[in-house]
Amino acid sequence: MASTADPERKEEEEAAAGDEEDTGAQVAPIVRLEEVAISTGEEDEDVILDLKAKLYRFDKDGNQWKERGAGTVKLLKHKETTKVRLVMRQSKTLKICANHLVIPTMSVQEHAGNDKSCVWHAADFADGELKDELFCIRFQSVENCKNFMETMQEVAESQQKKEESKDASDAAGLIEKLSVEDKKSEEKTKEEDTVADKEEKVAESEKKVEEPASST
Amino acid sequence: MALPNQQTVEYPSFKLVIVGDGGTGKTTFVKRHLTGEFEKKYEPTIGVEVHPLDFSTNCGKIRFYCWDTAGQEKFGGLRDGYYIHGQCAIIMFDVTARLTYKNVPTWHRDLCRVCENIPIVLCGNKVDVKNRQVKAKQVTFHRKKNLQYYEISAKSNYNFEKPFLYLARKLAGDANLHFVEAIALAPPEVHIDMAAQQLHEQELAAAASQPLPDDDDDAFE
Repeated sequence: MASTADPERKEEEEAAAGDEEDTGAQVAPIVRLEEVAISTGEEDEDVILDLKAKLYRFDKDGNQWKERGAGTVKLLKHKETTKVRLVMRQSKTLKICANHLVIPTMSVQEHAGNDKSCVWHAADFADGELKDELFCIRFQSVENCKNFMETMQEVAESQQKKEESKDASDAAGLIEKLSVEDKKSEEKTKEEDTVADKEEKVAESEKKVEEPASST
Repeated sequence: MALPNQQTVEYPSFKLVIVGDGGTGKTTFVKRHLTGEFEKKYEPTIGVEVHPLDFSTNCGKIRFYCWDTAGQEKFGGLRDGYYIHGQCAIIMFDVTARLTYKNVPTWHRDLCRVCENIPIVLCGNKVDVKNRQVKAKQVTFHRKKNLQYYEISAKSNYNFEKPFLYLARKLAGDANLHFVEAIALAPPEVHIDMAAQQLHEQELAAAASQPLPDDDDDAFE
């Protein structure tokens, strides 16, 4: 190591060595822990998406995005119920940053000015209690972000279909009820409707028209 | 070693004391582990703040009660009083501020007066910054005092899990202890009515126009 010519490199080597080296004192352990059986909770699920990403949650009080974690985001489909959930874990500590079902009402939107990130709302269960959260996720590439958005959309739609076919008469009743509620709330919010909102709706309906064509 | 108003847990828990000069990043480091956020704004800690921090390991769940103490002299509060019954410690300095490294021996001495023979990790924080004042090879204090040293960055998450992993291994006397995936319980069914759905969409539209705090790095660690 002393013969290394490049001082920068030597420094790097030393730093790397220091990382692994245990220079700590011989302190007596204060607990005795036994190895336990480990469960990820994901054993009965198939991975349908697995990407590196950085997750943010919206802080409404501060009106800003705050980091939630960086690591791996997965979409997991249950082998029996076919329900799909999103689970994200922090790298290294493997803690849970997000854990929620992908439900039919979920819609992933573009994040203004950033084509590597997108946003959605979820009732999240990461902390073991349901919390309303607005999430933003950022990927390493535009392709990964597109892949994520499309997969989320497909899943949400397939969950919708599943619900409909499960109990057709119930679903019909629900839709009737929803459309009534929709009308009511539409009347209420008519004046609040912005031009941007309308544009979005138009864009959405265009997308729906395009989709079958692109899949053939 | 929980505070009276803090819930105790049925799994092993340890009192972790975090000391070091003001502005070295003790609170930011703890917050990073607690919520994932990286707080840029500096607000000096007054006295002490205690946060429970859980980790899942191959030997079950463990908890550190992190006693995040004030670095600034004028906000010191009880000082030594916070160290009592400390079972492990982190001494933090800032590699971009030489004085914070020079003060490490003082923090170490004060800590060891109260807590004898506990595992201690020395952390050189902010190694993501280009212009370091304290280079890796200049850090030698840990060798004299048998501390473990880690270069860390609360900003980039570089080595951010290492101090906790080291302390857990020492406290359990198990060099093979490692972090494992925390169990992801099945989230309960939710029903979202139309009114709530509309509210969420409005909030989402507003949030979508806000930029991210860190658009520049692609290292997702």
